[in-house]
Amino acid sequence: MTTGRVTLRCAGLRKRFGRQELFGGLSFEGHGGEILAITGANGSGKSTLLKLAARLLIPDDGTVALCINDVPVAPEAYRSHFAMTAPEMNLYERLTAGENLRFFPSSRGLTLTDSEAKRLLDRVGLPAEAAGQPVGQFSTGMKQRLKLAIMMAAAAEVWLLDEPGANLDEAGRRMICREVQGAAREGRLVLWATNDSTEEGIADAVIRMGRGESRFPQGTDQRASL
Amino acid sequence: MLMFSFTSLAAVSMALAGSVPGPRLLAALLWVILFFAATVGMDRIFLDEAAAGTLETLRLYAPATAVLLGKLAGAFLTLVVLSALLVPLFLVFIGGSVGAPFLFLSVLLLGVLGIAAAGTLTAALSAWAEVRAGLFAILTFPVILPVFLPAVAVTAELFAGETVNLHYLVAMGLYDLLLGVGASVLFDYVWGG
Repeated sequence: MTTGRVTLRCAGLRKRFGRQELFGGLSFEGHGGEILAITGANGSGKSTLLKLAARLLIPDDGTVALCINDVPVAPEAYRSHFAMTAPEMNLYERLTAGENLRFFPSSRGLTLTDSEAKRLLDRVGLPAEAAGQPVGQFSTGMKQRLKLAIMMAAAAEVWLLDEPGANLDEAGRRMICREVQGAAREGRLVLWATNDSTEEGIADAVIRMGRGESRFPQGTDQRASL
Repeated sequence: MLMFSFTSLAAVSMALAGSVPGPRLLAALLWVILFFAATVGMDRIFLDEAAAGTLETLRLYAPATAVLLGKLAGAFLTLVVLSALLVPLFLVFIGGSVGAPFLFLSVLLLGVLGIAAAGTLTAALSAWAEVRAGLFAILTFPVILPVFLPAVAVTAELFAGETVNLHYLVAMGLYDLLLGVGASVLFDYVWGG
């Protein structure tokens, strides 16, 4: 991970799907070391906001910028600072867990040793034998844990989590809370789409989505504005 | 892809009923089979990733250039293998002989490289389109023409045993290079969203 203060700035974001406007000009800032929870009903735009942050989607209006030590990151290197887990982001089912775990970080030039891979699998609660099994044989929860391991292996400054606890048991959700808090302590910025009150509780600030509005209602942060 | 090319070859072979067409028609038949066999498989280069849900993961983690080169290399190798299986059968069943195998190999490689480069780029463009039916072939055909026509011309000269106009081969090589550079620039835009 690059050392340096990371800042994500979203200004005047607008996004429409057909006639439905998800954001009517959303602005907020997030800094390294912070956990920002994004909450709201289904279809309120939580996942869309995460994709806009990673530039997997283009906003209809507004800007998304990532700065490291206040220097904007170049467009061609932008996504290399992000790691993400989302329900629609799948892994290669014919490859083993170990192969998936090595492939995605290697596409960013990162090499994972066997011991590092085993340690990551252990951190997310997968047995070491899982490394040799095809992902197609995994349960939904096991796949979710592997996605989290890949996210950890990517050594990115910004983590984007789209309801990562949805398919996990209680121990899995505790693991996510632990890892997210650890990531924030290491200086990462975490954007966490969730509707779980426990997960929301460990966030430093909350962005509530709904009916075209987005704000920080708790008064803990004034950086978000309509 | 393989089945399409073999089926086409069998259909052409039976339709000709043992008669050997002229060199120009022979060359055109070979490249038409290769081109359409390629379009059968190459439109799925990115669609399979999209259907499996791995495209978004790849977009987040992998740089555009690495994906483009990987997909292009995969498509090129697939077409080389397809050509290696198809061309000998074509020469046996349809007819035709080649007096200059090195030149024949060169035109085949330059031709399939052009098809692979154009196909990879248009497969990426059509993967994000809302209406995809037929889009790949429509987009690829005009892009591939500057490779397709010289490839047919050189192959016809080789089948006829005439002296090959090397300018065609140079033009094909330059166009392949142009396609590669153009694909790289455009792919950055497509991959960026």
